[in-house]
Formats: sequence, C-alpha cells, structure tokens
Amino acid sequence: METQDEVGDEVRLAVPATPEFLRLARVTASGLASRMGFTLDEVEDLRLAIDELCFVLIGNKGRAGTVDLRYAVNGDTLEVVGTGTFDDGRAAPVLASWSEQMLKALVDEYALFEDGGHTAFRMVKRRLPPPGGDRS
Amino acid sequence: MTFDDEQREDLRQKFAEFAQTRSPKLRDELIEAHLGLAEYLARRFSNRGEPLDDLTQVASVGLLKAVDRFDPERGVEFSTYATHTIVGELKRHFRDKGWAVRAPRRMQELYLRLGRIIGVLSQELGRSPTIPELALEAQVSEEEVLEALEAGQAYRFASLDAPGPGDDEGDTMSSQLGAEDSNLVDAEHRVALWPLLAQLPKREQMILHLRFFEGLTQSAIAERLGISQMHVSRLLARSLAQLRAAAEEP
Repeated sequence: METQDEVGDEVRLAVPATPEFLRLARVTASGLASRMGFTLDEVEDLRLAIDELCFVLIGNKGRAGTVDLRYAVNGDTLEVVGTGTFDDGRAAPVLASWSEQMLKALVDEYALFEDGGHTAFRMVKRRLPPPGGDRS
Repeated sequence: MTFDDEQREDLRQKFAEFAQTRSPKLRDELIEAHLGLAEYLARRFSNRGEPLDDLTQVASVGLLKAVDRFDPERGVEFSTYATHTIVGELKRHFRDKGWAVRAPRRMQELYLRLGRIIGVLSQELGRSPTIPELALEAQVSEEEVLEALEAGQAYRFASLDAPGPGDDEGDTMSSQLGAEDSNLVDAEHRVALWPLLAQLPKREQMILHLRFFEGLTQSAIAERLGISQMHVSRLLARSLAQLRAAAEEP
C-alpha cells in the first residue's frame, strides 16, 4: 500500500456495448476510487458520470460493438477513457446540453471526441482534500 | 457454434436468395442452421429461475425474427445481428415476467444496513464517509460495500416510492418542497437545458436542480430534504434513467 501513491495504476476493461454491462464499468471505477480514498459522495458522482458517458456512447438501449475502458490512477486523480468500437454505422454521438450540465457538476474534466474512427470519452475526477478530518 | 468457410458462403448465398424470394423452404433451412445459436444464448440466461425449455422457445422466436428481418446488404454478419435480436427477446421475456435481475438477499440486507451506517458516520465525521470507513463500520469487506451499493441500483426500481433505508421523511419532505418550489423549475435557462425535466415528479426535479445546478453533494441534498443519502442516490439514478429514455424517443 505504501507505493500506491507513487506508482500509477492502470486497469483495462472491455465490455459489450449494452446497458447491462455498464455495471462492470461502474464497479471498476468505484473499486479504484475506493482504494484512492474517495468519499461516498465522490464515488456516487463517479458512477453517475461513467453511466452518463457510456450511455452517450452506446445509446439508451445499447448497440452492437464493444466499449474499451481504461482507468488510470495517478495520485489523487482518476482518469477514465472509454473507446467505442461499433459496427452499426450510426452517426457519432454528441453531448446534449443537460449531459454537459451534469458532467460539469460530477467530474473535473470530461470530453467526447473522435479517435481514428472510434468515438471516445475521457473524464477525470480528483479526490478533494477533506474539509476537516483525515481519511486515512 | 462455428461454420467452416464453405458453410458460411453457402449460408450467405441462402440469405441473399431469401432476401429476394422469401421462400419458406429457405427460411426453414436458415432457421435450422442457427438453432444452435438460439440454444446457446438460452443457456446463458438459464441461471435466473426460468426453465431452459421456455428460454429456448423464446430464443427460437428471436431467431425467427432475426431471419425475417435480416438484411444481408447491410454488411453485418447474421450471427452478430441474430445474437442481438435473440438476447433482446430473452430480456424482454424476463422483463415482461417482472423478473428483473435481482440482487441476492444478503446484498439487499447489507444495503439497508449501510443506509443507516452512512447516516450515522456522516454525522460523526462531518463529511461523507469513504468506502473503507463504511466497510470497517459494517464489518464487511470493501468489495461487499461496493457490491451492495450496486445492488441498490437494482433494488431502487422495486421500492422507490417507499422510504429508503435510513429515511425519516414524515412531513419534512412536503414542507421542504413547498418552500423551494417557487423558484425551482421555471427558470428559463434550466428549461432550455433540460426540456424533459418538467416530466419528472417535483421532488426529483428539485434533487436534479440541487445536484446539477446548485452543485450540492448527495449528502448535502439528503440533509436538506431530510432523507437518506441512499434515497437521493436512487432518485437521481431513476430520474436520469427516465430522462435518458425520454430523450431517446423521437
């Protein structure tokens, strides 16, 4: 555990692009966040943000294809990049205004972008220093 | 279920021909050739309390639909397309029967217990607790805490309208709502940003407003409304699911 803050951790996960697999995307994120000492409020935010960004990629009902998720832990920062590989030829998704409003409140950074024919998102959440009281 | 190249080419030709002729004989052949896929997918759903025979039946219906609707011009492999259709049919079957995938009882119990613990710890610490803190207090592993929180996501659909764990609603909610109601929903930029917001119950509109416009944490919202953090979490998740569903409708 001593090296946790010094060595960056990376976890990769590939899931089918359907809603029932988002659970795994959430659990992986909250597992890492838990290790990093995020509070429950922060973990909840992270879960909602992952859900939202994944739903933006796959649509409400899912689609044929996969989402590759990469979780990188660096000190107090958790970065998640999700890349969609789809074979249904649908147009690239965009963020609705309410999605943006949500994500602004939930995470420190977020982006939706095209990456070599893939649609991808990136989000960053930093652990806030506690207002009073140590978390360790 | 795998085909060799020759079989695959044969099937491709049959699909192309079927697309033109809609020949019942070809249809039967195509269905028969893929029954293995239907059976395979049915087995994958067989640990959820439904007899395998019924599931195979449902999966076969999905396969029929897939054969009838498949368009070979679209460049998608039939097996990919059919898997999607069949799994969709199987899921609809469970949904229609009201057999949502349920969390194990042990997790539901832990979830309820955590609801109370979160309330107590938040008070003691003056902030939202961490997962390790919750695990320590509940005397379970961190993984179990995370599992239980996930289980809560499933649980929420069953019992949203009942008070959640650790809730002490009483009259607090209605009086709070009355006080905040006037300046809540009709601000123009909010309506423009969230056109579907007005479809939600008042309380959920308020929670979305407090979380995403005022930037309050779930704990702070819980305190403000006199309900538990977990209840806020469930309501938020439900509201967002509803907004997503509504946004997808044409």
